[in-house]
Formats: sequence, structure tokens, C-alpha cells
Amino acid sequence: MFGKGLIKGLQITWKEFWAQKLTVQYPDEQHPVPERFHGRFILDVDKCIACSLCANACPNKVITIKKQKVGKKQFMTDYIMNIQYCLFCGLCVESCNKDALHFSQDFNMNQYFYRDLPLVLVQREAPAEPVDEEAPAAKAGDDKKAKAKPKPKAKTDKPAEPAADSEVAAGKAPDKEGQ
Amino acid sequence: MLRTQEYFLNFGPQHPSTHGVFQIILTLDGERIVKAEPVCGYLHRGIEKLAESRTYTQVIPYTDRMDYLAAMLQNLGYVQAVEKMMGIEVPERAEYLRVISGELSRLTSHVLATGVYALDIGGFTGFLLCFREREKMMDLLEELTGSRMTLSYARIGGVADDAPEGWLDKLDKLMDEMPGYIEEYNGLITGNEIFQARTKFVGQLKPETAVNYSLSGPVLRASGVNYDLRKAKPYGIYDRFDFEVPLGENGDCFDRFYCRVLEMEQSVKIIKQAIEQIKEVDGPVMAKVPKVLKPPKGEVYHEIETSKGIIGYYVVSDGSNKPYRVHVRRPSFINLGYLDEMLKGYLIADVVAILGSIDIVLGEVDC
Repeated sequence: MFGKGLIKGLQITWKEFWAQKLTVQYPDEQHPVPERFHGRFILDVDKCIACSLCANACPNKVITIKKQKVGKKQFMTDYIMNIQYCLFCGLCVESCNKDALHFSQDFNMNQYFYRDLPLVLVQREAPAEPVDEEAPAAKAGDDKKAKAKPKPKAKTDKPAEPAADSEVAAGKAPDKEGQ
Repeated sequence: MLRTQEYFLNFGPQHPSTHGVFQIILTLDGERIVKAEPVCGYLHRGIEKLAESRTYTQVIPYTDRMDYLAAMLQNLGYVQAVEKMMGIEVPERAEYLRVISGELSRLTSHVLATGVYALDIGGFTGFLLCFREREKMMDLLEELTGSRMTLSYARIGGVADDAPEGWLDKLDKLMDEMPGYIEEYNGLITGNEIFQARTKFVGQLKPETAVNYSLSGPVLRASGVNYDLRKAKPYGIYDRFDFEVPLGENGDCFDRFYCRVLEMEQSVKIIKQAIEQIKEVDGPVMAKVPKVLKPPKGEVYHEIETSKGIIGYYVVSDGSNKPYRVHVRRPSFINLGYLDEMLKGYLIADVVAILGSIDIVLGEVDC
């Protein structure tokens, strides 16, 4: 009979009309995020030995690691991820031998300005070496990085900044863009 | 005598029914199509070129981005090609996880194809119902792999991670419910008279032509050619499962659509068998492979059956840790080859029906 299919379809639609609603009102409620979710990265700085395995495992060269020699040890000063190029494939997390790099369940990585996009996991000054005389001269370049660190503030004290951080860490380069 | 003039119409690139950025330059005589010229390349990212400067493992995330609707199957084709080249033996449990996640990927792709086809023809409810199940499947894939679409789950020598606790039971439960859902699709979409009037005997494809144009996947099988690589040349462990290859009769839009619906049933069957069998298999999910992969000099071609058709990976190694060349035979691209002939003589409203029935994904067409 012609029209039988249409009636059956309407029956299904009618049934589904009264079915349980599956959508949630997003900002107020959220679906649970699974444990393995590929979200924002977390670096356990104490575990990290700055071996650069993660940076080499990355297909898109997202991770920039900078280290400095302090005494006889390597000291990591920067660990910056250009998250806008990240594929979230998990190869870096997998490559970590020390179990230092992790995914978190946080998926909200939006930024208002392009310059805020790089995910700065570590940015710090190398500690003063035991030999004190050399320290100030060696750290001159490093001071700039430290100055640029509190990023949200960068907007307010802009006039003083641009000259200072002319060429800083790779992740900071887009700083000028937002002016 | 009244003379009419042919005219051009651009279908796309910004048109929702092209499923991406795809253009067809139509030459029309009134409402009839005289000539259709597909223009692709709007989504070209040069994945084959990118692969040349990546190591073998690093290519995996890029394969995701071709057919992002069934990413696991794309991963699988590539890793199996490299494994074939290096002679790596994959652990049993990993093989089962590959089949499960692969078939789940196929299901998500087919559910989307079914729903979106309903939308193309003009039925909105069918689309929503299909997306409801797709969401459930993607949640499961997310639990397994951490991503929803670009999974990057397969690794050379196994899979990234074992299934989390209780995951297989959840999957089993969904697979028990699936036949009921498929029945709903059939009631809402397949049985609908308007849908049938729009799709039956439209865009018919003869089996010989389909073979000659080297079409594959549901497009080929809807014409009645029984060729499914999972049966014809079983790769992985597909010879252990009992399933059928659904075939069409007329090779029209309806058959191509219905072939996918029937294939969903078979995928559910395969997953259920795999869940049964994986319970007895324990062990690692990753073979012992060196950290730096250096396949011997040579070349390999490996093809598997994805949701769109046969995907083939041609990998050439020069002995270094980076592939010399990775070429992909993309089913969507090749299935598009017959579009011009298929559209000829039909009305302009049928363009969407015919294009939708081929089920292309533009990430794969343009690579």
C-alpha cells in the first residue's frame, strides 16, 4: 500500500519525540570526559630530564625545549608547545620515558589573542651557578625571558616591553602581533 | 524551430551537499545535465609530500586526516603496509583490537553516510537519529583512543593502548542495541516512499562499468559485484569471522544506500564475534619493535577495505628512517571518476542524490 512507509516513519518519529533527551545544555552541564582524553598537556617538571624525546617524536615540531648548562647539569629553561600546530596524536606522551608528560581532560584551550596561543609549560630562569662572577653576564639573555613571562600583564606594560623581548623564545615571537 | 541554449551552473564549492569543498561545473540543457565536470583539490594538503619528511611512525596521524570519518581504517592500511615491509608479527590481542576499532570506525562512517544521505534527500529526522548512535560510538572510540575522529590508534607493531576496563562490555551492550537502531533507520528512511521515489533507478551503474572504472566499496557491491577484500583477500585476522557481503541488484542510488545499511549489520556481527574471541586472548598489544624504524630497501603495496572502498598504501623505503614515498590509492577519489557519466541525462535535483550515494569524503579525495 502506498504511504505505508510514511506512516511507519511518522510512528517512529512520534515514539522518538517522547524518548529521553540526549542533548545537554553545554556550558551549564557537560558530558563526562574520558580518562584518556587528549586535552591540554601537563608536564611534571620534577620528573622531566629535558631529553627532547618528545620534541623529536612530534610529527609537527610543536615542542620547543631550551636548556642551559648549570654547573655540570643541564637545566631546562623553556618548554613551550605551539599548540596551534598540535595534532593531538599522543606520540609525545607515548615517547616519554620518565612519565613526565601527560594529557589532561581540559579541552578548553581557546585564546583571545594569537600571542597567547603557545602553551608555556615551563619558562624559568636557570639558577645561579656556584661560581658567582660569571652569572650576571651569562644570564643577561635569560632575564628577558623572565620579564616576558607574566603574559596577561604584557598588554598593560606594553610600551616598555617590545624593545626588551625583541627575539625571545620561539613561543613568544608572536607577541607583537596583538598591538 | 525553437532553439535552446546550454548554460553553466557551479555546484559548490560552498554547497552543503558536496560534503566538503567540492565543485561540479554542470552544463545544463534546461534542467537536464549534459556534462558534469568535477573539480577537486580545494582541500589538498599535500599529505603524501609531508610524509617524506616524517619518520614512519610520524606518518600515522596524517593518515587520520584523509578519511576522518573512519580514521582507524586509514591508520590500519598504513601500519599494515609498513609491517608487511618489515615483517613484523602483530600480537593476537592487538589484531582483535584493530578489528574491533576498525569495524566501529566503519560503523560510524556508515551511520553518517546513511544519515547524511537522508538529509540530502530532504529528511531531517533520519539524520538526527543516525547522529545519535554515531555519538555513542564516538564516545566509545574516545574512551579507547582519547580522540573522537582523528584516532591515531594503530601503531606499527600493534595498537597504542589496551582497551580500558569495562570498555568491551559497554561496546557489547551498544552492539546488542544496534539492530534495533538499524531497524529504526529502515523504518524511517529506507521504507519511505518519497525517499524510494527519489533514489530508485537513479544513477544506475552497470557491473562491468563499475569494474572497468575500478570502483570499489559499497558503490561496486551495489552493482552486484561480490568483491570485498575482507572476504576476497583476508588481511589481518578477518578470516576468523563469519559474515556476509551484502550486494545490490540494480546498482542505483537506493542500492548503494541500502548496501551500507546492510553492511552495518555485518559490522555489528563481526564486532560481536571479536568481543567473544578477544576474551580468551591475553597478552601484549604491541610487538617488540625497535624505537627507530628502518625498513629494508624496497617497496610494498598493501590494500584494505575501508568504509568507502579499497584503500591502498604504496610505501617505498630507501633504508633510512623516513619513507622515500608514500602514495595512497584513495577510494573516494577513484569512485568519483565515474561521476560525469553517472550524472548525464538526469535532472538537476538528482545531482545531490547521486553524489551523496557515492559517499565521498573530501579529505580523502584531495588528500
